[in-house]
Amino acid sequence: MFVYEKKLQYPVRIKNPNPKLAKFIISQYGGPDGELGASLRYLSQRYSMPYPELKGLLTDIGTEELGHLEMIGTIVYQLTRDMNADDVKKAGLDAYFVDHTAGVYPTAASGFPWSAASMAVKGDVIADLSEDLAAEQKARVTYDNILRLSDDPDVNNVIRFLREREVVHYQRFGEGLRLATEKMNEKNFYAVNPAFDR
Amino acid sequence: MSCNQCDKPYKRGSLPGASAPLAMSYVPMQDSAAPAYEPSEALARGTLFPGLDLPFMNSVNENVADVPTAELMAINFVVDELELYLDTHADDSEAFQLYQSFLALKEEAHRRYVERYGVICQNDLLGKNAYTWLRDPWPWEFPGRRES
Repeated sequence: MFVYEKKLQYPVRIKNPNPKLAKFIISQYGGPDGELGASLRYLSQRYSMPYPELKGLLTDIGTEELGHLEMIGTIVYQLTRDMNADDVKKAGLDAYFVDHTAGVYPTAASGFPWSAASMAVKGDVIADLSEDLAAEQKARVTYDNILRLSDDPDVNNVIRFLREREVVHYQRFGEGLRLATEKMNEKNFYAVNPAFDR
Repeated sequence: MSCNQCDKPYKRGSLPGASAPLAMSYVPMQDSAAPAYEPSEALARGTLFPGLDLPFMNSVNENVADVPTAELMAINFVVDELELYLDTHADDSEAFQLYQSFLALKEEAHRRYVERYGVICQNDLLGKNAYTWLRDPWPWEFPGRRES
C-alpha cells in the first residue's frame, strides 16, 4: 500500500502565475509521455516480472513517478492561481477552462484526455523493459521541449530536475535489462518468456 | 570529443566480456556509487551521481527554492537515489553502508522538521494533542496564500 508524505520530492515555488505555460506543461500530467502514464506503466508491469531486482526497480521508480505527477500538478496549479476570465482568454486556455475551470485534469497539451493506450504492459521481460527505456527517452524529450518553450526560471528549475530523473531511470532500466538477460538462456534470449513459461 | 569530463572513470561503465551479444540492447552497468554529490547539490542537479549528470544545453540548477522542507528533501532524495542504485547493485556493500548512514540522517532530519514545522506523515501525530494533519500548508500551495 501507499502512505502519503505531506511534501514534494523537489520544491515548487512559481512566483509568477502564467496560464499560457500551464497549457502545455499539463501534457506531463496527462499526456502520452507524462507522469501518470509512467507511474501506471511501471506499477502495472511489476506483477508479471519474474526477478526480484525488476520487481524492486519497477516499484521504486513507479512510486517516484507518482511523486513527479504531484509536482507537475503543483506547477499547473500555481501557474493558474488567481486567474480571472480575462486571463483565461488572453492565455488561450478557454477550451480547457470551459470543461475544467481551474481544476487540474489529466490531459495532453493537444486536449486529448489521458489514455491507457499511451502505455503498454506486455507481460514479457524484454518487451516491457524496452518499452520502459523508450518511455524514459520520450519523457526526457518532452522536458527538453518544455525547456525550449518556457522562459520562467522557477518553472525551468523544476523541469530540469524532472528531466534529469528520466536520464537516471533510463540507466537503471538498462541495468535491469542486463541483469535479466544474465538469467536467461544466453544462446537464445528469446527461447522462452520467463514471465510466463515457468 | 573535446569534453574534459569524458575520460573520468566514473563516466564509463562496464560491458560483459570482450563484446555484447547480438539482438539485445545494452546499457553498461554503473561501476560504483562513488563519486557522489553532496545532498543539496544532488537535489539541485537531479542525481546523486556526477557520471549520470547529463544536462540539456549545459543549463544546470545552481540551487533549489528556499523552502523549510529543503534539507529533508535533499536527504530523502539521496536515500531514494541510493535505493534505485541498490535495486540493480544489491551486492555493493559500500553503497549499502552509505545508504545506512543516510537512513539515519533521514530519520533525524524528519524528526527535526516535525518539531519545528509540523507533521509530514499521519504517523507523526502519535502523542500530539490535536489532529493537526489538516493544517496548511499542503505541498502544492504557494506560500502566503490564504485558502478559504
